[in-house]
Amino acid sequence: MIQIPCPYCGLRNANEFASTGEVKPRPDVATATPAVWRAYLYDHRNPEGLVTEGWYHRAGCRKFLVVERHTQTNEIRSARPAGVAS
Amino acid sequence: MPEATTQAATTAPGDARPRLPGGAPLARSPIRQPPPTAVVGHWEVSRRHTNAALRLADLSALAKVVLRAAPESEAAGALGVPFGAARRVNVVATRPAPQLVVGSGPDEWTVLGPVDTQAEIDAALLALPGEHPRSVVDLTHGRALVRLTGAAAPAVLATICAIDLRERSTPNGKALRSLVAGVATDLVRDDVEGTCSYLLHVERSSGQYLYDTLMEAGATAGIDAAGLPEKEI
Repeated sequence: MIQIPCPYCGLRNANEFASTGEVKPRPDVATATPAVWRAYLYDHRNPEGLVTEGWYHRAGCRKFLVVERHTQTNEIRSARPAGVAS
Repeated sequence: MPEATTQAATTAPGDARPRLPGGAPLARSPIRQPPPTAVVGHWEVSRRHTNAALRLADLSALAKVVLRAAPESEAAGALGVPFGAARRVNVVATRPAPQLVVGSGPDEWTVLGPVDTQAEIDAALLALPGEHPRSVVDLTHGRALVRLTGAAAPAVLATICAIDLRERSTPNGKALRSLVAGVATDLVRDDVEGTCSYLLHVERSSGQYLYDTLMEAGATAGIDAAGLPEKEI
């Protein structure tokens, strides 16, 4: 079971959250080609190790969070509100 | 509270929706009302009385208004209720009894008041001081609200909710949102005359499901259905 330390609500079960995937830099809307957009939307690195992901606390505070999670152990290294620098 | 009447609702020709004498539509909870029922204000409510130690009452008829505003705004400061807490505040100055203000999100407050007072609460929230943008939405008919009361309430709720409901984690006056029986639910610990009590607030379409699930979870603890109490909030 994964538990995520929501900075607003405290430690909560991961089934209260929706994952929005790995946080990646968004391509420039003016210059991005369809191939770049496709890669941004559908190509994922899926590494074994620490990844920075977006999570949405849909059944709690309804805030977007940035979470550092280890993909093999599910250890949560940190969780902070989206848009706040680490 | 509006006076209870025993006048039966009627229907208009070609319109099956029940109406009150005078033509106003009769509001109904998404939860089936255990008899006997009465009309309070614009609502059909149960007036069932029970002496059971654990009871579940449908409070969906209560006024429910949500305020969204920045936590640092003057309006939020005027309410004085932080995220995660629930307190009685006199939001509507002309009302003799205060309303229950629930800090249901980091920038969200739910105000619960007596039946048919949503327009007054709405106006009072819009009149709060400050120039920060805010939104006020009347959710009275869009949500279901039940109250689970009794010493066994934490144990019953713990069977369908992962939150630590012990006194040190969830004392009286604590508010949170979590999954209850798989449904996103606003949960408020709001004791009644010293007895442990929880308000559970969900989307209207989940109301009957949550009510049935709570009745099932509390069956071994002797839960019984109660009607809308005289003093609702």
